Amino acid sequence: MTQVVVGQILNGIILGSLYGIIALGVTMTFGITGIVNFALGQFMMIGAYATWYFTDLAMFPFPVAVALAVVISAVAGLVADQALFRFTRNNLVNGLLVSIGLISVTESVALLLFTTTPKNMDTVIAGSWTLGAITLPRMKVVAFLMLAAVIGLTWLGLSRAWLGRATRAYAQNPEAAMLMGVPTKLLQTGVVVYSCAIAGFGGALYACLFSLEPTLGGLFILKGVESAILAGVGNLLGALAGGVILGVTESVGSLYLPSAFRDAYGLVFLVAILLFRPAGLFGGQK
Amino acid sequence: MKALWFLIPLYLLPLVVKSDTMLTVLIFTFLLSILAVGFNIVFGGAGQLTMFHAAAFGIGSYATFLSMLHFGLPFWLGYLVAVVVVVLVSIVIGWICFKFRLKEFYFAVVTMAFAELCRLIALNWTSVTNGTLGMLVLEKPTLWLPRSGIVKIEQTAAWYFLTLVSLTVVLAFSALLMRSWIGRNFSAIRLNEDLAQTLGIDTFRYKLLAFTISNVIASFAGALYGFYTGFIEPSYLSVTQSLDAIAMVLLGGVSTILGPVVGSMVLTSLPHLIELPAELRVAVYGMILILVILLMPRGIVGLAAGLLKRRAHAS
Repeated sequence: MTQVVVGQILNGIILGSLYGIIALGVTMTFGITGIVNFALGQFMMIGAYATWYFTDLAMFPFPVAVALAVVISAVAGLVADQALFRFTRNNLVNGLLVSIGLISVTESVALLLFTTTPKNMDTVIAGSWTLGAITLPRMKVVAFLMLAAVIGLTWLGLSRAWLGRATRAYAQNPEAAMLMGVPTKLLQTGVVVYSCAIAGFGGALYACLFSLEPTLGGLFILKGVESAILAGVGNLLGALAGGVILGVTESVGSLYLPSAFRDAYGLVFLVAILLFRPAGLFGGQK
Repeated sequence: MKALWFLIPLYLLPLVVKSDTMLTVLIFTFLLSILAVGFNIVFGGAGQLTMFHAAAFGIGSYATFLSMLHFGLPFWLGYLVAVVVVVLVSIVIGWICFKFRLKEFYFAVVTMAFAELCRLIALNWTSVTNGTLGMLVLEKPTLWLPRSGIVKIEQTAAWYFLTLVSLTVVLAFSALLMRSWIGRNFSAIRLNEDLAQTLGIDTFRYKLLAFTISNVIASFAGALYGFYTGFIEPSYLSVTQSLDAIAMVLLGGVSTILGPVVGSMVLTSLPHLIELPAELRVAVYGMILILVILLMPRGIVGLAAGLLKRRAHAS
C-alpha cells in the first residue's frame, strides 16, 4: 500500500511541477502586464511537439531538441506579444479573449499538422532508481529537478539582479518605475516572451513523460492558473509549491476517493483557499 | 426597446430563404444569443465576470429532460422544474461568492470552479445522466396556438420561429430590466461598487439578483438547445461554452441591448456560412475574435453607436 501511495505522491509531484512552470508564467505575466495569458498552455504544446519532432523525426540529440523547442516557443511568444498582447495590456477581459482566439488558431493548426493521433516520444532516459521498496523512474526525477531548477533560478534572478528589482518596482508602481528609468515596454515584452519560453521548456519535458495531443495546452493552463491562485498571485516560488500541492492532492485524492472526480479535488481545495485566504496560501494577509 | 426593430427582418427571412441549412445556422445563432443576453445582464449590467452561465445552460437542458423523463411532465412544466433548480444553485453559489466579496478575476475563477464541478457531476453520475455518452432526446416541445391547437415543434421552420420569438421575449425583458430601477442599480454597482453601497444600494442583494436572472436565462437557452439538437451531453457545461458566450458579448458590445445578438451572428453564423473543413472553421473563429477585439475594443454595436453619435455632432 505504501508503495502505491508513494508512487501516487511522486506522480503528483512531477505533474505538479509541470503545473508549477505554467503557474510561474501566469503569475509573472499577470503582475507585469495585467493580463492572464490563457494561451500559455499552447506554448507548452508547441514546445512539446517541437521536441518530439526534433528528436524522433529529425534525429537531433535530445538537449539540442530541447534548446530548439525553447527557442521556437520564445519566438512564437515574441510574435504573439508584438502582434496581439501588446494591445491588451492591463485589460483582463480583452486579454482573455485574445488568448482564446490564439488558442483556437494554434490548436487547429496543430490538428492539421499532427492530427488527433497521440504521439509517443522514444524514451530519453530509461531505467529507474530503487530506494528500499520504492522505485523512482529516472526520467521523472530528472524532469522534476530541471523544472524546480528553472523556477528557483527565475526566483533568484528576480530577487537578486537589477532586472528583478525593476520588475518588482514596476509591479508596485508602474509610473514611478518608468520615471526611475525602467524600460517598461521592453520589460513587458520580455516577461511575456520569458513565460512562453519556460512554458515551452515544460512542454519539452512533458513530451518525455506523456503522450502528445493537440489539446494538451487547455488542461495545463487551467491547472496552472489554479496553482498560481493557490499560492497567491505574484509569488514566484509559491508557484512551484502551489503546483505540487495541486498535483499531489489530485493524485492522492484519486486513490481514496472516486478517481473520476480527480479534477474536482483541486477545485474544491482552490475554492476553500480563495474563500478563507484570499491572498493565497503563501500570501500575506491583505 | 428601439433595438427590437432590428429583429423584424429576421421574422420575414423565411419568406425569402428556403434553405434549411441557413435556417438551422440561424436557429443555433438565436439559441446562443439567448445565452449571451443572459451573460450580458450580469457582466454588462452588474459588472460581475461570471463563468457559470454554461453550467446553468447545461443544468437547464439536463433538468428539463430528466424531469420529463421521470415525472412525465410536458416540456414547459419540465423547464419550470429546471428554473427552480437553477435558482437554488445560483443562490447558493452567488451567496458564497458575494458574501466573501470575491471580485473580478477571483469571482471568475471561483464560478468557473463551481461550473467545472457541475460538469464533473454530469459526466460521472452515470446512472442518471448516462455520462460521456449523453442522452438522446426524442421528445419535442409542444405549443398551443390559437387556430391549430396543440402543435409539436418539429420542422426547421417551426423551430426557427420558436427560437426567434424566445429571443425577442428575452431581449425585450433584458431591455426593460436594464431601463428599470433594478437595471440602474446594476449599473451603479458596475461603475463603482463602493459608491453604490454608500448611496444605500444593497449591493449583495442586487449582485445575487443579477447572477440568478442571468443563469435562469442561460438555462432557458440550454433547455431549448438540448431539445432542438435532440442530444444532451456534459460538454454543454464546459468552460469553452462559457468563453464562447463571453466572446459573443464582447464582440457585439458589452452593456448594449443588441450586442449579444450581433456577436452571436458574427461568431456562430459567419464561420458556418463560409464553406470550410471543421479544423479551419475553429481557426477562422479564433481569427475573427482576435481581429474584432483588437480593432473594435468597444464591440460592433459600441463602434456603430459611436459613429452615429459623431455624425450627429458634426451635422
